[in-house]
Parts: sequence; structure tokens; C-alpha cells
Amino acid sequence: MPFEEALKKLEGVVEAMESDDLPLETLLARYEEGARLVKICQEKLAEAEVKIQQLEKTAAGDLKLKSFETSEE
Amino acid sequence: MSKPAKSQWDFGELFSPAEIRKVLSVSELTGSVRALLEKQIGTVWVSGEITNLRAQSSGHIYFTLKDAGAQLSCVLFSREIVAQRDLLADGQKVLLQGEVTVYEARGQYQLIVRDVELQGVGALQVAFEKLKQKLAAEGLFAAERKRALPKFPARIGLVTSPTGAAIRDVLHVVQRRNPALEIILAPARVQGQGAALEIAAAIRTLNDFGNLDLILVTRGGGSLEDLWAFNEEPVARAIFESAIPVVSAVGHEIDFTIADFVADVRAATPSVAAEIITENVFASHELVGDAMNLMQLRVRRRMRIETENFESLAGRLVRLHPRRKLDDSLQRLDDLQFGLLRGLKTAARSRQLVLQNLAGRFLRAKPSQILKARQEVLKQLEKRLNLLGPEQVLARGYSITTDVASGKVLRDAAKIKAGQKLKTRLAKGEVFSTAQP
Repeated sequence: MPFEEALKKLEGVVEAMESDDLPLETLLARYEEGARLVKICQEKLAEAEVKIQQLEKTAAGDLKLKSFETSEE
Repeated sequence: MSKPAKSQWDFGELFSPAEIRKVLSVSELTGSVRALLEKQIGTVWVSGEITNLRAQSSGHIYFTLKDAGAQLSCVLFSREIVAQRDLLADGQKVLLQGEVTVYEARGQYQLIVRDVELQGVGALQVAFEKLKQKLAAEGLFAAERKRALPKFPARIGLVTSPTGAAIRDVLHVVQRRNPALEIILAPARVQGQGAALEIAAAIRTLNDFGNLDLILVTRGGGSLEDLWAFNEEPVARAIFESAIPVVSAVGHEIDFTIADFVADVRAATPSVAAEIITENVFASHELVGDAMNLMQLRVRRRMRIETENFESLAGRLVRLHPRRKLDDSLQRLDDLQFGLLRGLKTAARSRQLVLQNLAGRFLRAKPSQILKARQEVLKQLEKRLNLLGPEQVLARGYSITTDVASGKVLRDAAKIKAGQKLKTRLAKGEVFSTAQP
């Protein structure tokens, strides 16, 4: 599941849990579902990384990506 | 003031003054100076710095143009159509075209300004204003064509110098927030001759490359001249034509460039731009972090409510138990006993009161008084009896005749039979007689 989808579902679950009308069993089921989504989101966030590449034009005029090294650090 | 004494060498006027002196009035002289200046100098270009600028309500602007060694009074009349009129200010370096003349009323020579060219930063300001007005008229800044940025950009284009401060700032913020983000850098010089064309080309290249969520065009702080490329038309056009939403972040908070006006989103600085782009990812970190707490809170709250409901039900159940009924009966009995006792006490007390009342009345009712009252009544009755009795009637001469045998009073002579024995009572004594046929 993509992060954005998991996040959206998680938001929906948290929102649904705010209702007091929810039967207790449903509430607990939502909690289980929410906990599962939190785990998915956290995993996605943990494996997230910033990649930077530099775009350059070849002699033939084609576009090519090459790795970009930041000068600092 | 005393008149000075005449010198002994004063021989009076030997020669008429008119013959040896050419006397001019002030007006004539000033007029000559004016004519000379206007003829000899006429229209000139002169450069200097504006000082002591006064804009009059008439619309005329008076100022002094100076350089290190001299000053020149200048006037810009309201009728002159000069685009930069509003940009004139103290300290502004200008190149003026005008005519040198004399303001005769004050004997002051001055420059009547016909045209103004701003120099230094001022000239750039004018160019900026001109381009801004032109592009605004074309609708390049229209709010309705601004596009919203994707909430979770995954792949963005970056137009900036690979060695500048801006790319460092952007990467610093982005890496700290750590989204899953791919950055495609299209390098461009961001200042100097040709920079504007490189920036415009980089924007187009990224559009050709495609598959990008947005393009960030950025540069760190610098002087107005340093940032100038972002105020040039090619950059504005490239941003306007970009099919991908553009974020512009040039210089510091106070710097507004044409690129900023055209872009879909303007960020105050490169760092702020990075924050805007990663805003939702950053917020989602918090949301994910808070979600667990929020959900636990909900469950706990619900459990507390359910527990309270249960306790309330349990309480009702206890009240309905038979044992409880017995308890109630016992209590009722207690209540009744108590009520009864109280009732008895109240009754006894009220009896006591009645008794006291009676005793009082009894004591007040003395026998002697009762007797006296009765005697009085008796006397009255005797009187009334006397009034009703026959004695008084008899005393007046009437008599009462009764049948001796029956003792009945006779009221009708017809009913008396012969030989019937009669008794007649008189006021004093009685007479017996026998009826005659």
C-alpha cells in the first residue's frame, strides 16, 4: 500500500473512532486496523530517502540523468 | 541717520552719470543673464544625485541636483510627462535632460527638467516596474491561473546553481524532514550575463523531461543586481509556459521578483520553499505519531463510558433484588412504628389539652352563680305564667263553668244536657248547679 493511501485510510479510521455511536466491537476492530496502518506508515516513513540527480543534455541533444554529489558535508 | 559730510574734494557733478555709466535695472540685468544662459547653454544633459526634493501640491517637483563639488536647482513641472516621476527621491542618482534658465524673481539659475533617466539601482527599478506592468496587463500574474501544488510530491525539478547557497538550504530542509523525494536538478547560472536565458532553458528542459510534480526555481539572497535574472522577461515567459506547477523562491523575504509574481507559489526563501514542498509529508509524520495516541485515547474513553454504564446498570439490579424489597419493607415498618408512636404522642397531648380546657371551664362554673341564675329564670317564668293564668280574667267578673262529671270546661250551652251537674268557678269561690231543660 502506498504511503499516501495508508495515511488517508488512517485519517479515516481516526475520524471514525471519534463517534460515540460506534458499537464497541467495531471500535476495537477500527483500533486494530488503525494500529496496522500506523505501522505501515511508519515503515514507509522510515525507508523514505531523498535522492538527487542532475539532468544534463548529451551531445546528441538527449536528456540524461547523472548522480549529483553535494559539495558540502 | 545723519547725512555724511561732503568732502572738500567734491567738486560736484562735472560729467553727467549717464555719459560714463550704463545703469541697468535688476530686471534688465537678470533678463540679460537669462538670455545669455539660454542662448549659450540651452538644452543639456546633466548627471548627479537628487537632494532636498520637494513635491508641491501644484504637482511641480523641486529638487537640487548635486555632485561632490556643486549644486544645481532643478524643477520638474507637472505638465512634463516623465514616467519615473514617482521614483524620484533624495539620494537617487539621475541623468537629467533640461534647459538652463534663470528664475528672475529670485535671481536664481536653474534647470527646467524635460526628461529623467534613473541611474544605478534606480534604472533597474524602472525596468522592473515596466516589465511588471506589461506582464500584469498580459495576465501572467492572474490569481485564477495559479495551480495548487501536489500534497505529496514524489519527484520535483530544481532550477538553481549546483554550487549556490540555495541548493544547500533546500537539501538541508528536505533531508531533515526526510520525505521520499526524488530531486532532478537542472543546473543554471543564477546571476550575471545570460543567466536569465539559462534559467528559462532549464525550466523548459525539465518540462521536456516531464513526470515531475513541481519545479522549484530558486536562488539565495543578494543585491538587486545579483537577483536581476529573475526579473527578466525570458524567465517570466518560461515560468508562465511551464506545464508543471512552479514554485519561485528568490533572495530574502523582502525581495519580490517578476518570477515570484508569475510562479504558482512564491516562497520567501529557498528554505521556506523546501518547507512548503515537504509540508504535508512533515505534517503526516506528526499525524502518524499522534494517530496511535488518539486511537488509544478513544478506546480508553469508550471503556470508561462502558464501565460507567455497567456500574449504573449493576446499581439498578441491586435495587431490584428481593432482598432489597425486604430491606425496604423493614424500613417501611420502622417508618410506620415511628409514625404510630408519634401519632400516639400527639393524641395524648391533644387529650390533655381538652382536659385542661374543661377543668378551666369547670372552675369558672360556680354552683352559687348557677343557682342565682336559675332563680332569676324561675321568677321570669312565674311572671309569664301569671299573665297567662285565668285569675286575672276571673277578677274582672268572668267565670269558668265545667262539667262536674268530666271536669271539662263548657264552651257551648247547646251541648249542655238537662240535669247535668255543673261547677262554676268565680274570682273567689265556686258555685255548683244543675242544668234546667
